[in-house]
Amino acid sequence: MATPISNLRISPSETVGTGKSVAPREWGFSETLRGAMDQVQQLQGVADGKVAGLLDGGGMDVHSAMIAVEQADLSFQLMMQVRNKIVAAYQEISRMQF
Amino acid sequence: MNLFGMLAVSGSALTAERQRAEVVTSNMANMETTRTPEGGPYHRQLVVFRSRRMSQFPALLVGFGNTAAQGVRVDQVIRDAKPPIERYQPGHPDANAKGYVSYPAVDPVEETADLMGAVRAYELNASAVQSTKTMIQESLDLLR
Repeated sequence: MATPISNLRISPSETVGTGKSVAPREWGFSETLRGAMDQVQQLQGVADGKVAGLLDGGGMDVHSAMIAVEQADLSFQLMMQVRNKIVAAYQEISRMQF
Repeated sequence: MNLFGMLAVSGSALTAERQRAEVVTSNMANMETTRTPEGGPYHRQLVVFRSRRMSQFPALLVGFGNTAAQGVRVDQVIRDAKPPIERYQPGHPDANAKGYVSYPAVDPVEETADLMGAVRAYELNASAVQSTKTMIQESLDLLR
């Protein structure tokens, strides 16, 4: 029987660097993915703003708009790769024989 | 410094070179200008670059440590101290009592060479951006 994707948990051990042990926070696959998507969205917002500034003659540099778009594109590609990995892992688990 | 940091450095260089080209084109456009808001003929302008530690907000965002990576910015635009060129044009409304008109000391050949330099430097930094992009894409392909 397939488990909903949000029930699969990755539990990181304590945070590196801080001396005291922090109660391990549980991260679901969906939260991990959502965090990545939020960051991508933020970069896309920046790129959007710069392209808008370019198109309405707001004095935006062409190259800084292009670099922002490129950053958004690259982080989107990274997000897609992470998503592919997560889905592949999920499918691997759901195919497991009991 | 991560790879987006390289983009920030190249981006600052692109901005600086664009401003340099802007100043050069302004010199070219005002080669014959005898009237300016501050009075007198136009004065040739020059840019002065200054290196910039990328430690402000965008750099924090992309995680610069205490690396030596430095961007660049236009520190100031200075006025060339060369005296204006006097040409004898008694009929000109800006001619002085002796009939001479002061024209800006702008040498078209010098400005053309400057503009070529700015364009080449821009191209160089644009290809650095391209290379950085390729590097990031290569690292993404590691996950495939």
